[in-house]
Amino acid sequence: MKIALFIPCLVNQMMPEVAIATLTLLEKLGHQVIFPKGQTCCGQPMTNSGCFDEAKNTTLKLLNAFKGVDCDAIVCPAASCLVAAKENFHEFDGSQEAQEVISKLYELTEFLHDIAPIKAFARPVAAKISMQMSCHGIRMLNLATPTEQMGKQRFNKVEAVLGNIAGLEIVYPARIDECCGFGGTFAVDEGAVSAKMGKDKAQAHAATGAKYVVGFDPSCLLHLDGMIRRQKLPIETRHIAQIINDAL
Amino acid sequence: MTELYTASGSKVHAHKADIFCRDETRVDWHSKALWALREKRDRAAGSLPEWEQLRLLGSQLKLHTLSHLAQYLEQFEQQCLSNGIKVHWASDAQQHNEIVHGILAKHKVKKLVKSKSMLTEECHMNPYLERHGIEVVDTDLGERIIQLANMPPSHIVVPAIHMKKEEVGELFHQQLGTKAGESDPLYLTRAARAHLREKFLTADAAMTGVNMAIADQGAIVVCTNEGNADMGANLPKLQLHSMGIDKVVPDMDSVGVLLRTLARNATGQPITTYSSFYRGPQEGGEMHVIIVDNGRTEMMKDKILAESLKCIRCGGCLNTCPVYRRSGGYSYNYTIPGPIGIAVGAKHDDTNSIPWACTLCGSCTYVCPTMVPLDKIIAHHRRLKAEAKRLPYGKGGYMPLVGRFMANETLMNTSMSAARLALRVLPGSLLKPFSGAWGKYRELPVAPESSFASWYNKNRSR
Ligand code: SF4
Repeated sequence: MKIALFIPCLVNQMMPEVAIATLTLLEKLGHQVIFPKGQTCCGQPMTNSGCFDEAKNTTLKLLNAFKGVDCDAIVCPAASCLVAAKENFHEFDGSQEAQEVISKLYELTEFLHDIAPIKAFARPVAAKISMQMSCHGIRMLNLATPTEQMGKQRFNKVEAVLGNIAGLEIVYPARIDECCGFGGTFAVDEGAVSAKMGKDKAQAHAATGAKYVVGFDPSCLLHLDGMIRRQKLPIETRHIAQIINDAL
Repeated sequence: MTELYTASGSKVHAHKADIFCRDETRVDWHSKALWALREKRDRAAGSLPEWEQLRLLGSQLKLHTLSHLAQYLEQFEQQCLSNGIKVHWASDAQQHNEIVHGILAKHKVKKLVKSKSMLTEECHMNPYLERHGIEVVDTDLGERIIQLANMPPSHIVVPAIHMKKEEVGELFHQQLGTKAGESDPLYLTRAARAHLREKFLTADAAMTGVNMAIADQGAIVVCTNEGNADMGANLPKLQLHSMGIDKVVPDMDSVGVLLRTLARNATGQPITTYSSFYRGPQEGGEMHVIIVDNGRTEMMKDKILAESLKCIRCGGCLNTCPVYRRSGGYSYNYTIPGPIGIAVGAKHDDTNSIPWACTLCGSCTYVCPTMVPLDKIIAHHRRLKAEAKRLPYGKGGYMPLVGRFMANETLMNTSMSAARLALRVLPGSLLKPFSGAWGKYRELPVAPESSFASWYNKNRSR
């Protein structure tokens, strides 16, 4: 397939290794990958604060970067940014062209589960990993059934994608899908509560004895990383793209 | 942190939460006690194969009732009247309190026993009646504890959850004369029981809240675990029940749906110990129902906010909320804390900060038995505050700058590469003071050498 990468500003600036792993793994899977120029912020920091006027320019610029780009799918390795981009594109541009872009947007796990599943992994990854089930991915993108929801029909796309990697042991922290406390500007507006949530989450991950905290949302991973190093916990963060890339 | 205080002296949520968080052992204890309720809820809800269907039904029947509200309220009034119940209408808190006082004054009531009612808290009825010389005794154990401690509720179902049993022991020792240093819950409960028994026997009137008002029956439902509502309503000849207009449901089938989810979602019980239906006064007695609007009709005008009126006050969203559990019930600047407190209280908050006491994680929305879209409502409140130019935490000043910065690729690229360089070469001790709340609690990120965009230009550009 022909894939356009959507690399949110945080990943582009602070976690390029996540973007490189995403690009590489998609290429290894035989896809043709492009990185359209002119990508800006999805507007989430502003719309999350209720400031829609302030978000409009950057959202529309980002949308423009994808309009008319020849591709089958637009893939993003950040669940929360993807949700925001979808919502904000919809909010600010009702055109057919915008709708075409929106309908091609996929978060990486979603893409590898629903659209182009991985047939076989090439290499084992011998590690115990503790999954970071970030809120927006599970409760807004339906990457997994949230713990609040009852009933027999349960699914977990993240585990379904990673589950076939030989040697990988997947575990979960206590209070599996409780928020890590990042929440964008919440991390600074509500510093004390945010930090306490982050500390509890980091400790719950470390208590599993896993080597890595693995997640699909870079912003949560960045928050946990800052927390883990402050607490000097024996665990490190990794993005699912990095684990998958190692296994291909 | 800017704008800590408002002119009226109230403080922003973050400030109160910061103080609450200083005692970490207490935060852990508080968070754990409430999470235990969430776990009980999960087990109770999970034991019903039809749980998600019940939520959907609950949501739909509430939406249906709210969109035919006038019709159902009038039907309820008619049925009440034919059952010999007196019905009063109050447009706001003041009117509610006046009506209640009027009824009590007419009967020369000196002592009123009351059971669970968040509405009377919302209307600040106790202080009003006390000013008029009427003693009000809250009879639920939790409510009685906070009344003795002279505090408002910190939770809508377990109002004294913030107090440890040792603190309750000390309070009872001072107020009820229990043994000093005694904190055994059974001993304390017995003492409260004996104390309340005397109040029940000497009360002139009883008042309760209303969990549901059944339109086609002219009856109301009150749910308690302690039987105190029944004890109150059945002893004195005069009984009063206050309800918000949102409490009406069409019929017994609707009650059946909501009763199946209410207690399960609140405490994990299949049903509360007492689910009492009142449909008329006792012989020779009087029964009054006071129907209160107090801002609810106004809320219905906004499609998104209107859905908060589906709430049945189970408290489930508070128990699951990671912020509420770590900031406590007194940090919200409103009688009702937690997600539903933000939903219905944001407009009363003059610090404008409570819509931001939330990470938008969405857990509450999935927990809610009537599917109140709490995270959407909270996000909507942020937008309303922004549109009204009433943003907290200095956002009104810096958000336009962020917007311009983010939309400007060149500016963003140059300044971010400068920031990355600074993060790499400067010592943390020099940077942390400038990184605000981030660096206070967390290590600063390890900065990469270049952005992905420049890596891509070097490695993939053709
Ligand atoms: S909003 Fe929903 S979960 Fe929260 S108290 Fe109301 S009914 Fe319960």
